Amino acid sequence: MTNKKTFGRLKGREVMVMGIIVAMIILFSILSPTFRTYTTFLSVLDSSYYIILMALGVTFPLITGGVDLSIGTGLVSYGLIGGYLIVTMKMPVGVGIAACILMGILIGLFNGALVALMDLPPFLATLCTCMITRGLGPALSESFGVSWPSAISESGAFRKIFKFTTAEGTVIPIGIVFMIILVIIMSFVLEHTRVGRYTIAIGSNKEATRLAGVNIKFYHVLAYVISGFFAGLAGVAYAATYATIYPGSGAGFELDAIGGAIVGGVSATGGVGTIFGSFLGVIVICLMKVGLPFIGLQANWQQIFIGIILIAAVLVDVIKKKK
Amino acid sequence: MGDIILTMKGIDKSFPGVHALDHVDLEVRKGEVLALMGENGAGKSTLMKVLTGIYKKDSGTITYEGKEVEFKNTREAQDVGIVIVHQELNMLGHLTVAQNLFIGREFKKGIRIDDKKMNEEAKKLFDRLNVDIDPTEMMANLTVGKQQMCEIAKAVSFDAKVIIFDEPSAALTEAEIEEMFKIIRDLKEKDIAMVYISHRMDEIKVITDRVTVMRDGTYVGTLITEECTKEDIINMMVGRVIYEEPKTESQVPEDAPVVLKVEHLNAGRMVQDVSFELRKGEILGFSGLMGAGRTETARALFGADPKESGDIYVNGKKVTINSPQDAVECGIGYLSEDRKRYGIVVQKTVAENTTMASMRNFMKGIFINKKKEAEVADKYVEALATKTPGIDQQVVNLSGGNQQKVVIAKWLTRNSDILIFDEPTRGIDVGAKNEIYKLMNKLVQEGKSIIMISSEMTEILRMSDRIIVMCEGKKTGEIDISEAKQETIMNLATRECE
Amino acid sequence: MKKKVLAVLLSAAMVLSLAACSSGGSNDGGDDATTGDGAATEEKAEGGSKDYSFQMIVKSFQSTYWQAAIQGVEQAKSELGVSVEANGPANESDIADQVQMLNDAIEKKPDGIALAACDTNSVIDSLTKALEAGIPVVCFDTGVDNAPEGSVIATIATDNVAAGSVAAEKMFPVIEEKVKAATADAKVRIGEVNQDATALNIQQRGQGFIDKMLELCTGAGKKVAVVGNEFYVNGTKGAVAEAEAEVIIEVGVPAQTTVDLASTEAQKIMSKDDTIAIFGSNQVTAEGVITANQTLNKLSTDPEKGIIAAGFDAGTPQKEAITNGQFIGSVTQSPLMMGYEAIVALTKIADGESVSDMPMDGYWYDKDTMGDDNIAPNLYD
Repeated sequence: MTNKKTFGRLKGREVMVMGIIVAMIILFSILSPTFRTYTTFLSVLDSSYYIILMALGVTFPLITGGVDLSIGTGLVSYGLIGGYLIVTMKMPVGVGIAACILMGILIGLFNGALVALMDLPPFLATLCTCMITRGLGPALSESFGVSWPSAISESGAFRKIFKFTTAEGTVIPIGIVFMIILVIIMSFVLEHTRVGRYTIAIGSNKEATRLAGVNIKFYHVLAYVISGFFAGLAGVAYAATYATIYPGSGAGFELDAIGGAIVGGVSATGGVGTIFGSFLGVIVICLMKVGLPFIGLQANWQQIFIGIILIAAVLVDVIKKKK
Repeated sequence: MGDIILTMKGIDKSFPGVHALDHVDLEVRKGEVLALMGENGAGKSTLMKVLTGIYKKDSGTITYEGKEVEFKNTREAQDVGIVIVHQELNMLGHLTVAQNLFIGREFKKGIRIDDKKMNEEAKKLFDRLNVDIDPTEMMANLTVGKQQMCEIAKAVSFDAKVIIFDEPSAALTEAEIEEMFKIIRDLKEKDIAMVYISHRMDEIKVITDRVTVMRDGTYVGTLITEECTKEDIINMMVGRVIYEEPKTESQVPEDAPVVLKVEHLNAGRMVQDVSFELRKGEILGFSGLMGAGRTETARALFGADPKESGDIYVNGKKVTINSPQDAVECGIGYLSEDRKRYGIVVQKTVAENTTMASMRNFMKGIFINKKKEAEVADKYVEALATKTPGIDQQVVNLSGGNQQKVVIAKWLTRNSDILIFDEPTRGIDVGAKNEIYKLMNKLVQEGKSIIMISSEMTEILRMSDRIIVMCEGKKTGEIDISEAKQETIMNLATRECE
Repeated sequence: MKKKVLAVLLSAAMVLSLAACSSGGSNDGGDDATTGDGAATEEKAEGGSKDYSFQMIVKSFQSTYWQAAIQGVEQAKSELGVSVEANGPANESDIADQVQMLNDAIEKKPDGIALAACDTNSVIDSLTKALEAGIPVVCFDTGVDNAPEGSVIATIATDNVAAGSVAAEKMFPVIEEKVKAATADAKVRIGEVNQDATALNIQQRGQGFIDKMLELCTGAGKKVAVVGNEFYVNGTKGAVAEAEAEVIIEVGVPAQTTVDLASTEAQKIMSKDDTIAIFGSNQVTAEGVITANQTLNKLSTDPEKGIIAAGFDAGTPQKEAITNGQFIGSVTQSPLMMGYEAIVALTKIADGESVSDMPMDGYWYDKDTMGDDNIAPNLYD
């Protein structure tokens, strides 16, 4: 098995995941006529935006050999704070969005400082920030749930970033276009810039990277800042897709993103992974989440199947390594 | 021979409790390969670390290209052309060869890393060095030998004028070493100065021009390689005064039974066909240089690492040992060379550590019998003269020697009859060392048997009844203490491996 | 992960007769998100005729739901001229704090105590104490089923079965023609999205809707099948097999109580061609229906044009959905009325009158009645 990086071409893992996606679509379509509709396609996309954004970000800490568990509760918390500014403080939507992203960056910096500067194990450090963000949003927003302005209201235009409804009522999921643009940008960052190169290097051999004269602390912190930034964006996407953000939710969102990244070939031990792979992995997770109810499987089976898919993905890696 | 490019004079460096370098001199000339030799702990690596700025020297001068220099870090040394090729490979397995070569100094086009140019430059470099490596290959897919070539190529790419090889051949096959030598000869042609640290006598004779020998942190002397024999070098390496009297003859009774017999043990490259016997009341010394495979042999025997083949007999009965648990059941105890990692649980108390390997005997139903635990722990604190404020003291607060005693107590509590001491006195001060020695002697008098792995020649000669010498995973000799001489042992330990 | 607001509502909606399964404590296990502290408000009776002083313990103090309850209390105070001191923990999961507050309240020897217990089992000892001290207790919002005999004089709580059936009653006339036109070959489908199948109050609400809808459809001469979540399929009596049915009631339950999963369940049902109506039985699932409609665009108040939808509780998105004609209306509980009635009951007890349990209705509200005085205060954002 080769890990050979073939820039511009797809890796074996990505082809495999695409195969799984096609197989799932075919299977669900056979089993459920209602699944084969344009609106279901929209629904899969709707449910994927915030997870894709989280996954794009969390891929960086994962590749350094770490993890960021704070993104799920983080995005809810940032969404609450942003929503609070818009709804309660009557600030412009732009301010709310900016606050949402800024909060993400700040928490990312905090995570990065704990992990890269103070040498806390990433699991532990981000578990703590996961708890902190879980309380932070509700504490700052003093609320029991915030509804960002709805699509029909004057200031609800931001929702159209993700879903545009034409005059005739046709829904165009332009969100996916932005997602693809972000996938391309972040793939470039990961594969063709120093930021990405050193992210992989840190995950590959931190000490050797340090000896090569790389300012590893900076790049290690940066990986978590990227993760935080995308968690902030995910907060905006979540607020734009769903009616209300409830405090106390969000725990477990990060698992969809991390799980997606791992299905997409990001190694849990660091060094390996692509942005496109993470993106595809999230699509697999979202297909599961939307598709399984359509074929009549009761809700709890979704979790079981996602767990099984994850085990399979990790097993493939382990078996490959042994060869 | 070329002009002097680098001079180190009177280099002195102390660490707490250790005088690592005692006014050492070193002189390197352009276009030569200077061997730097000495036993483990002689100060070779420390000297090179002082040179490249990893350690700061206490006194002395470094003159490079006629100017006095002092580097703050490896980067500064690199920038003027002094590069070190490390013993452990500093590889980033998930990146390509070219990406590795230029890590930290990538070519860029705007914010984009110019991988194409890096590949081209790497290709040029490899062409110049006459090695055949694809720059776009993932580093993890290369053989260790090829990875080593990359390290050398990386050094060269810094426009190095002085390259330090720290045991570069340790992990290479014969063919790979030959290929590396070709490159080294090439570099010589280009007037590059090289310092070559190695234990392999045969390599020294083949590739180096001069040999500088260090011992116990001091400079011993420099020889022209062509003009000296292997024995000359060994004499310089071991010529220390021995303060403690070595054992003159074996203390083991003639009729002592064999308690442990190992036959044709194989476990990877570091343990090849190793056979030996251990008798009741014997201290069997395992000597050899670093990386000779002694610890690996012990770990394979103890079941800590998987073994490929080999039979083990305890008290004449064949046993199967696939895990440390099996070994413990057979009455074997292992005192790791790395106490902190494998030997003790530093955050636990003396008492808890003492009973750790024999918990079963201290249970009362599902509860731990604290009273019994305390009794036994007290007993061993007294018997081994462990200096601790009490058995409730956390082990982390004890000195190295006393930590070692707690480990010994642990295995004695388990009633282990065969004890493997791996570097028993590493990191322990002289006074405590003597106590450990006394304790070991007392243990064998009581009928225990000991395998002692040690890199300290004096320790081997002082404690062992019999000595087994290993070199590169093979047993190269077995000597009774009455016939043991440092030179003989060193000869066996550096034996050319066919 | 349960959401704070839901936990409040869930707990609020507990019915006396079935309250043995503790609601608050178990429903909001994951909640630690509330802010604020157990602030106490004290108001003196303003020269009223009766000089009673009551203690009131709520589940928490910050939510709009409980603020509405306090508003009801204020109303009762000014009408009756009694004094009420209200208190509550910072968080609904602070069970121990609430018990302490209840004990403190008993120490003050008031003329009566109104209690909304966070955890029904934890307050038993305190209720015994109150009984011994001769202090009458009225439970509101949540009943304490296994309270010591004689300690709780009356319970005022929402009847969830009734609240669920209100939605069915209001929805049925709108879709009646469609239902009547249904045949075994051209079935019609009525959907319901429930938050989960384990919380008692939601179960009752969901089942209340199903049973009433089944009754109404059967009354119209139709055979009805219940499909989807096993719990409700098995819990419904009088349904027929799916093949022979003319009306299908489909129940969807998301794996977790997040809006995204709730919306997937809603979408699944709304995507089907024969679906004519859908009911979201609490705030999250109602918003799931709204989210699904952002994609499907099928909701309408005219059964000929699209799917009829109704919700439960309030919140801005739901209120908007009603205003702009996506929902025909929703059911709300009345914390205000419960607060009011609790004080009225305490006063009656103090006067020596007899009082009995008072199951509270769910209140239907729609575009036209949203602004009404008895509705509007209950509709939080």
